Amino acid sequence: MHLIEAQALNGLALGAVLSLVALGLTIVFGLLGFVNFAHGALFMVGAYAGWVVYSQTENFFLAMVAALVVTFIVGLVIERVLIRMYYRRPPEDQILVTYGLAIILVEIVRAIFTGVTRQMPTPAWAAGTVQLAGIFYPQYRLVLIVIAAVTLAILYVVLFRTRIGLIVRAGIDDALIVNILGVNVNRTFLLVFALGAAIAGFSGIVDAPLLAVNPDMGTDLLVQSFVVVVIGGVGSFFGAILGGLIAGEIISLTTAFAADYSSVALYAAMALVLIVRPQGLLGVEGRA
Amino acid sequence: MARARGAIVPLAMLVFLVAFPTLVGFAGGGVTLAARILVLGLFGLGVDLLFGFTGLLSFGQAAFYGTGGFVAGYLLIHHIVPSTILALAIGMLVAAVAGLVVGSLALRQVGVYFAMLTLAFSQLFYFLDNSPLRELTGGENGLPGVPRAEVFGIHFSSLQETYAFIAIVYFIGFVVMRRIVASPFGHVLRAILDNPIRAAAAGHDVYRYKLVAFTIAAAYAGLAGGLLGLFQGYLPPDMFTIDQSGQIIVMEVIGGPGTLVGPLIGATVWIYLSQVLQNIGAIGSLWKLVLGLVFVLLITGFRRGIAGGVSTFLQQWQRREPAPVPSE
Repeated sequence: MHLIEAQALNGLALGAVLSLVALGLTIVFGLLGFVNFAHGALFMVGAYAGWVVYSQTENFFLAMVAALVVTFIVGLVIERVLIRMYYRRPPEDQILVTYGLAIILVEIVRAIFTGVTRQMPTPAWAAGTVQLAGIFYPQYRLVLIVIAAVTLAILYVVLFRTRIGLIVRAGIDDALIVNILGVNVNRTFLLVFALGAAIAGFSGIVDAPLLAVNPDMGTDLLVQSFVVVVIGGVGSFFGAILGGLIAGEIISLTTAFAADYSSVALYAAMALVLIVRPQGLLGVEGRA
Repeated sequence: MARARGAIVPLAMLVFLVAFPTLVGFAGGGVTLAARILVLGLFGLGVDLLFGFTGLLSFGQAAFYGTGGFVAGYLLIHHIVPSTILALAIGMLVAAVAGLVVGSLALRQVGVYFAMLTLAFSQLFYFLDNSPLRELTGGENGLPGVPRAEVFGIHFSSLQETYAFIAIVYFIGFVVMRRIVASPFGHVLRAILDNPIRAAAAGHDVYRYKLVAFTIAAAYAGLAGGLLGLFQGYLPPDMFTIDQSGQIIVMEVIGGPGTLVGPLIGATVWIYLSQVLQNIGAIGSLWKLVLGLVFVLLITGFRRGIAGGVSTFLQQWQRREPAPVPSE
């Protein structure tokens, strides 16, 4: 019984991270209209940026800031140099170029840090376990849930309660009209792409203590966040959160009962959603 | 006259296949390298039908490559099927059925969504291979001990003979694919590539055509997977990985989509970059970075890859002579 409760909490922690990663993906997809296949690579870049700062300073807060800033800047550069040229090209080209970009990012990191797997230690203030309804539970996972929840809340406020959020949401709806109304959509695109990158990077550093840090760590997460977006619905804020939590719980709870099938169950659930509700649980029809 | 012209390309391919190991040998590679390139070239024929001719970008072709390979390999290792040809055919068939199932789900979506779904479904295959089916597939260890080909009592036992066997299969696959893309079916696929809405308006069941193309591509992938087992004697689990799916896409784009020989060229470039650059000490580990940069450059500037660039050049060069009557 306790095992199941612990696994449910694990699922919540995993789901929180997946929600965050998928949200970054879905915001970019919603506004710019294309899936960023380099999202997993940016997750990895964030983890490395944080790991470097943490191993110098032992300060987890600084590591989080570093991950955010570095991936935000990388996002700005990528958008200016490359992505900009692709807004008017077919979706296949956009996928291919971001896939190529992912290869480049991964190989640059491999060239600098080699392929050796690094351990990102749990910050000292969250290293212990806490007793929770009779089970001892690693404290950091609870911290992770809180961090993800707070980040999601901040993003909610930014997207739904500020002027820039209004522009972003209007741009998702119809970029052309927003442009005609005199808003510089190009700048908004740049900002949103960099924001998506920063969310990926931030997720990378907060998830890093639970994972092994290596150049290929983003691949699994990229595919899982695709599944989250498919389950939750493209371009939907709450869809990303719901999809993330569902995905996290499916993986964790199946692990408790039939470990061999944990990943299989996730993709089976995705297939089911696709058959029953192709636009995703909270997606709007015709958005794809 | 038209028939004679139509035979030129297959003949040229035949000559090329005979000379290929020698060419690879001049360039410092062995017959293994040539065989590996041909296997990927065969795999790529299906990918080219999907992407180059129909415009479908699948990131999950590794699922069928692995399925075909492991089914054929399993049958041969355990002597369930006596004949190499039959085992390859069954592997190909199972891969095709898998393609039919995955395709019927993934093709409900287009563009970005389709790519994400194929990727996710191929992960499903990867995890099936790795955990629940571990007993059959060897899990992380893969399947060793695939015997060499034997057809009608002829043993293709050495590496050279195995190359010959793979070359024969590749040649048949190439000729068949040429027929497919030149058929009315192939023309509809090209119409879908140009404009799916117009193709639908012209009365074609776009979904059905795409599904057939997807199934054929899966069959080619499955056959190629079976051949990999034959010459390696071993089936690695990373046949199922995302990297494998990505690799074949990169080869397709570098080589030139819609040319059939594109993936062969792309595979040659990929494998040479990895082998040759790896031997140059200082930058050896950077080969994949170079590849990534070339890839991004090609998509950005030269959308038709190496083969496309060459054929454009040849066409322009031909145009200096009196324009021939279009053969189609």
